[in-house]
This record gives sequence, C-alpha cells and structure tokens, in this order.
Amino acid sequence: MVSETRKESPSLMPQKDNLWYKDAVIYQLHVRTFCDSNADGIGDFAGLTQRLDYLQELGITAIWLLPFYPSPLRDDGYDIADYTSVHGSYGSLEDFKTFLAEAHRRGLRIIIEMVLNHTSDQHPWFKEARSSRDNPRRDWYVWSDTDTRYQGVPIVFVDTETSNWAWDPISKSYYWHRFFSHQPDLNFDNPAVFEAVWEVMKFWLNLGVDGFRLDAVAYLVEREGTLCENLPETHAIIRELRRRLDLAYPGAMLLAEANQWPADVRAYFGDGDEFHAAFHFPLMPRMFMAVKLEDRKPIIEILDQTPEIPDSCQWFIFLRNHDELTLEMVTDVERDYMYDEYAMDRTMRINRGIRRRLAPMMDNDRRRIELLNGLLMSMPGTPIVYYGDEIGMGDNIYLGDRNGVRTPMQWNSALNAGFSLADPERLYAPVISNAVYGYQAVNADSQNRSEHSLLRWMKSLLEVRNAFQVFSRGTIQFLNPSNHRVLAYMRQFGGETVLVVNNLSSSAQAVELDVQRYKGYIPIEMFGRNLFPRFGNVPYLLTLGPYQFYWFQLRRI
Amino acid sequence: MAEDVFLSDDLLRQLMSVGEVDLLVGMSSHNAANTVSHALDAIEESFQRNFVRQRVVIVHVGGGDKDEDGVVAKGHGNLAETGLRLPGITSLRTSHRVTANVPDPPSRGIALRTILAAADLLRARACAVVSPGVSNLTPDSIASLLRPVYREKFDFAAPLYARNKYQGLLARNLLYPMSRALFGCGIRELFSDEWGFSGRLASLCLNQDVWHEEAIQARPEAWMAVSAISSDFRCCQAFLGEKPQAAKGLGTDIVEVLRQTVGTLFWCLETQQSWWWDCGRSQPAPAFGPDHELTADPTDLDRHRIFEMFRSGVTELEPILSSILDPETHSEIKSIVSREEGKFRFKSDIWVRTLYDFAASYHHAVINRDHLVQALAPLYRGMTYSFLVEHSDSSPADMEAASELLCGEFELQKPYLMERWKAKIEVKS
Repeated sequence: MVSETRKESPSLMPQKDNLWYKDAVIYQLHVRTFCDSNADGIGDFAGLTQRLDYLQELGITAIWLLPFYPSPLRDDGYDIADYTSVHGSYGSLEDFKTFLAEAHRRGLRIIIEMVLNHTSDQHPWFKEARSSRDNPRRDWYVWSDTDTRYQGVPIVFVDTETSNWAWDPISKSYYWHRFFSHQPDLNFDNPAVFEAVWEVMKFWLNLGVDGFRLDAVAYLVEREGTLCENLPETHAIIRELRRRLDLAYPGAMLLAEANQWPADVRAYFGDGDEFHAAFHFPLMPRMFMAVKLEDRKPIIEILDQTPEIPDSCQWFIFLRNHDELTLEMVTDVERDYMYDEYAMDRTMRINRGIRRRLAPMMDNDRRRIELLNGLLMSMPGTPIVYYGDEIGMGDNIYLGDRNGVRTPMQWNSALNAGFSLADPERLYAPVISNAVYGYQAVNADSQNRSEHSLLRWMKSLLEVRNAFQVFSRGTIQFLNPSNHRVLAYMRQFGGETVLVVNNLSSSAQAVELDVQRYKGYIPIEMFGRNLFPRFGNVPYLLTLGPYQFYWFQLRRI
Repeated sequence: MAEDVFLSDDLLRQLMSVGEVDLLVGMSSHNAANTVSHALDAIEESFQRNFVRQRVVIVHVGGGDKDEDGVVAKGHGNLAETGLRLPGITSLRTSHRVTANVPDPPSRGIALRTILAAADLLRARACAVVSPGVSNLTPDSIASLLRPVYREKFDFAAPLYARNKYQGLLARNLLYPMSRALFGCGIRELFSDEWGFSGRLASLCLNQDVWHEEAIQARPEAWMAVSAISSDFRCCQAFLGEKPQAAKGLGTDIVEVLRQTVGTLFWCLETQQSWWWDCGRSQPAPAFGPDHELTADPTDLDRHRIFEMFRSGVTELEPILSSILDPETHSEIKSIVSREEGKFRFKSDIWVRTLYDFAASYHHAVINRDHLVQALAPLYRGMTYSFLVEHSDSSPADMEAASELLCGEFELQKPYLMERWKAKIEVKS
C-alpha cells in the first residue's frame, strides 16, 4: 500500500512492511471538522473522502481519526455509546467503508480511536449494568457502596470533576470514572469485558483499518493502595491484545495514549510485545519551551531521559492535537513559565494545559511555525500533523472546553470557509473569522495558489522527510555546541547520515560544530540541494538567521 | 578611552557562546580551588532558587591552580548536564560558566575590568562581584546583591553587614562619614569584597581610562561606587548578614589597609572634584533587608598598645606631619599627644580637620602621596583608642547616635576642606 507519489530509495523501503508506522507521517483530524457533504453543518465521511486528494498531495501517509462512533458527544465522541457503528451525523458505516477504500487506494493508512477504558453512560452495557445489582453486565463496570476506595488517585479533569466516584441514583451505588462522570470505567478484571473489547476491535480490523489509538490506556485497571495507573495487570491485558492482533492481523498497529514520563511509557512497549507505538508527551511542551527560552536545554534533558525502546517500536511525536497542550509532565516551575509565556489570558487555560493552536501560540510568526515543524519532522519518532496546522489555522478560546482548536477546516474564502454549504448558524462550531486567522486570510485554496505559502512549504518539508528513512528510523546524537541557542544533532540509519541544525533564537547566531569525526564529508543542504564546504580538521562554523534551521545530508565523495 | 585589547580570544569565544544574559556574577581567584568550588555552588544555587527563568552566567577570572586545574577546567562551558542539581528545583535554562585564565595572580582591578567587559558585551542587566574567600558567601547573600539591581533598577548595591560594635572602625570613623559628607550618599561599606551593579554602570566604568591607576588595581569597588554616585545613578545597600571575620594576618596591617582604602578615597576626591565640590547635604542610601543592630561582643583589642603606637608614631613623624597638617591642627595634635593615656580624647572636630588636612595635602601632593597616606596610621590609632575608651559601655543606639554626630561634623567642616583645597601650598621637594 505504498503511495505511488512517494519518492523513496528502493534499497531502503521493503515491499511489504509491517513497520509502516515507523515511516508514516500522520494527519490527525475529526471527521466532524473536515468537510460537510450534505449541508447539515457537520463534517462527514463523504466530505472527508472528497478531500483525500488534498491529504495525499500534502504528503501525509496515514490518517488518525478521532472518535466517530454513536455518542451523546459530551466529550467530543470519547464517550462511546456504540462501538461498531458510525454516528449518524458523520454518515453511515457504508460511508466509512467507502472512505477506507479510497484512502487505501491513495496509499493512506487509517488509524481509528478505540476507547477501552470507559464508555458513555448511554452505552447499552452501562444501561444494563446500572439497571440492577443482579444484572449480568453489572460487573462490567467498577462499583462501590462508598466513594472511599482508591484514595489519593488524581483527578484528570480537575476543572470539572471533584471526585473519581459518581453516585448512580438508579442502582444506588457509586461507580468509578477517571474522566467525566458520564464516562464510567469498564472493569477489566472481568474477562467478559476483555472479550467484548476484542470483538469490537476485530469488527474494525475486518473492515480493513490499519491501527488503533488506544485512549487512556494507563487507567484500565484499579488496585487499592496505588494510583490506579500503569499497573502490571494493565500490561497483561495489552500483551494479550497484541498477541491476538499479531496472530490474526499482522501489520495492524496499536498506539498507546499514555501521558506519562518516558520511563513509565517504556513499559508499554514491553519487549516488543505490547504497543507498537506510544506518544512522547513530555517532549512536546519542551519544544515550545525551548523556542521561548531560546535554549535547547529542555529538549536535550527530556530526550536524555528517554529510554531505548525495542527496534520494532516507535515514539509518536506531535506539536498540537485536539486536546489542550498538556502541562502534566512538566515541573511546577515549567508549567508556570509556559502559562506566563503562552497563556497569559486565563481563558486559554484548561485543566493543566493550554487550549490554543500552533499558529496563535507562535504569534503567527511564520519562521517559528516553520522551525517547530522542522523539529517535529527531524526528531526521532513518527510525526503527527494536527489538521489545519499545515495552513496555520487559528483558534477560538471562547468556545468552551477544548472546542476552540476543533473549528471547521478552512478550505477557501467562500461561505463557511468552503467547509459546508449550510447556513452559518447551523455549523457545529463557528468558523474562525478574525482579521488574522479568519478563513478569508487563511485557507487551503489560497495557499495552494501561493508558491511561498505555509502549505506549500509544508509539502516540500514532508517531501524531503519522506524521501529519507533516516528521519523515521535513525539514531540521534546531539552535538551540544557551546552556543546553547542552537540545537544540533546527527541522525543516522544504515549508510545515511543527516546533520540537523536549529537556531532556537530570535536573533542570528553563529555556531561552531564539533564534526571532526566526519572529516571529509560534504554537507548537502537538503531543500536546495546546494553543497556546503567540506568538513575538515577544525570546528565547522555555521551562521543561522533567526529561527532558521538546516538539514544537511552528509556525503563522502 | 582605553584602546588596548585585553580580552583574550578564548574568553571572547566563550562570551559569544553565552549571548545576552540577565544576570552575571563575577569572581576572581588564584590557587584557591576549594573555595572556588564552594563559591560556584553557592552562585548556582542562588540562580536556581531565586532566578530560575533568567539567563545567567558566572565569570571567573583566575588560574594558577596547578594541582587542581580540574576544578577550573570543569567550570568552563555549559552546565546544562553537569551543573548543580537541587532537589525539587528545575533550572529552565542553560547556566554558563566562563573562565578567563590568567597566568599571574590577577589584581582586583584587572579582574574587575574583565568582569565589566563581560557584563558589557553580554548586556547583562544586573551583576555582582563576590569573593570566593568570603566565608559567609551564601545563595541568599548573592541574591540580595542582585535583586535591588535586577528588580528595583538600582545601579549600585553596596553590602550592609551586622557588625560587632568594635568591628569596622575604619569604615565607621573615617571612610563612611567622610565619603558620605563629600559625595552625598550614605553608603556604609564603600570598600568590600562583594557588591552589585547594573549593566549600564559596568559600561560606564569600563569606558573610563583609569585602569592603570594604582587605586583601581587595589580597591576598585569604591571607585565604582563613587562613579555611580557622581553620575547620579541610583545606589542602595543590601543586608548580607554578619560581616565575615578576616583571617588572622590578612587585612590587619593598618598601614596597608589605609594605603588601599584612604588612598583610594583621596584619589576619588581628586578625580571627582567637580561632583563633591557642589554636592549638597548627604542623602541616605536605601537599604534592603531586615533591620539589624550592632552587637556588643567584647573585643580583644589592646588599648594600651594602640595608644603607645599612636604616641610614638606621631612623635616619629613630626616633620612629615608638619608639612601635611595645618599649623593649628598640628598644634592641637601635639597638645593631645602629650596627655596621659587615661585623659586622652581625640575630639571629633580635630579628627575631621586632620583628615581634611590630609586630603588637601594629598591634592597638593605636598609629599609623596603614598607616604602621606601612610603617615595617617598613628593618627588613626589615636582615634581608635579614643573611640574604644569613649564607647566601652555604649549601647548600639548610642554608638549610632555618635556616628551620626561624626557624619554631621564632616559635613559641617566641608568648607574648611574646600578652603584648604584651593589654598596655595608650598610643596616640599
């Protein structure tokens, strides 16, 4: 399923590749936000299918879909009421199948959400479980006569929840929920729950999906006297899922959403027998921090703490996503700094994070946006592009919860940004329409027509990245020059070596790189393909403009 | 303006890597690896506890640690990975250490010039100079010097200490009241091993062509303070706790101490005449930190010996004193020298006139200026003896009141100094 448009070195890319997720560039979107085909104001699968050419031309190779299942939508679809169907607003199961086929035809793989930890309280399973204490599904959820069990377990949604227990007036007992109170946790101590979940996954795998992002995987199991996170029993569940997956669906991928320190996430890779991939959450805020501090220290520190993972596994890295920019995996000092620098207006803050998009956080500074994307595409891991960030979309912090970063995709300057033909009042959310980020100024159509737009730049960035497997699979070695405003590293894979040099500062910088061990190599700048002076016996002097970065392919000729 | 290049290429390269900073702490040392290490840790800890978001650098001027070069060498470069790690504290930024290696023991002037150059080139907003040899150098004391400059926008922060009532007599009876009266700013510790200053004061001082002067080589901090005052920069004082005791044998040679302190003060009068000539009544220098009092711990100073040295010194230096002092002052001195020890008192007005005679004679260079300052030693001893006797039972409040009276006397007799300064005096060859 390799895209014909993808340039690759035949010697590096095998024909059948069960490690496709390591080389992927992921595009994250919610079907609701992307394109509305039936003028009801809500994006749907038919509309998304119409836009697959755009995604293919962008250069991404896989799409990660946020939840599209039937749901009361009290948590934007993460409260699932039916695991094996499609929410009516987004189309039908047939529409999904069509979308899947068209995506695959273009060489795009599809990753879907699978929320195992909890369901909506509207799910039939919960409705049955709560109907009486004797119901056969009673034990599918976690119940208690008191709210004192599992003391000290942190609350995730601190802005809205005051307890991890909620009182059920129907069955007159408490049920456990790590997230919203309308999202009761499933009880994985019950083998029937595991089997039911496996059946759900098989349903989608049989349709042809390429992988699952398992939401909130750290919280599957509870035990007294613990924080109810990352427990050995949870890993056992994952291992069994993985075993069955590899047996029946080789090549399908499991992606862990575990917002933990790298050392704790490491456990979710197991010995290559648990998750194929996991998000590197702590790296993300530190990229933002490094640019603001104009100091590479935060990035170096977190990657130094990042453990080795099995060869078949991969970190997934990102700049922004559908949630708040989480500041859980930072210190109090770092959190305060991030708030002061990126979220002075308290409306921008939610839970322990910042609910803004990339471009507004960068003050719409094209250079900084490019720098961060350059970091994303050159650091070790599979990069994820959040929909709209490729054109520099803005946000609407007044929409409540995290909806401000989930506004309609801006396709053109026509009605509703080309997202929908519905009356504007009917849109699921208003389009961004201010003078800076409004759809009249920021849209895919105008950027496609402008040779030097952000969108065109992103395409060239992805084109270069996709052409060299060193970015996706290579090692990383930091050079640590004395100028702390420059982040420089070598990426190596097979016979390929790439030098990446990033100026994190708003002012021009000079840097001397210790590359004497590469004496004789010729650095070739990878975007313009121009030759730079050969490495010699002395430190290599480079000068960089504000926020500028270089990717050099090193050739020995 | 000095045109010679004194920054080494190596130092310049290090500064290039650092870039602009908010805070700079400088120090100099020679063959003092252990104390340097302690000082570096204290500075690092101060940065991490008090200035976690600021861009910081430590500038160390030193060398000669032949056996322990490792300590100096390790201090060079970025501390992102190897710096002090405090539990519960995260430093957001890379912390830099810059080392200017010099082969010979650096004079205080050379060390300060290097530090000022670094501050200027790095556009540091607030700086401090500390001494590794100061026994009570703590993270809090370093922060106390930096905060008034960085946060309150002062240009000079002199230290303020909690003293024993018998400590700092030279400052109490001469340096403080005289500088306060003439320069108009009530900085108690004009001469110290640690002080804070702004980047703009650093630039001002760096660009003055004074670096060859002996006064700068010996005690440049007073000159910095006077430069700040005379440039109408904002000055303050920062409480640092107890004044560390000097080790025995160091700083106890009163002649040498007078050469360095009074000699520098007199030199400042020479170079800043246009300021102090028209300077009005003195203003207090704001103080940061807790209120404190003198302590009344007993002293082991030998009063009798001090008195004998006073009397014998005045007698031996009679010819020299006659060329320095005004005849009326000299007559008064000869009169009190002849008194019995128990009845001897060096009254304030005579003491002040004596000092002003010395200052004026320094201005006219009636004799070699170095010898002139040294000749003050026995008279200072006389003043010290008188002070010890007069205040043996004084309370801290009484002593502060007496200090204020002495300051008033200095201000009152300023016209006398001006008159002596302008007078035509025969210079003995």
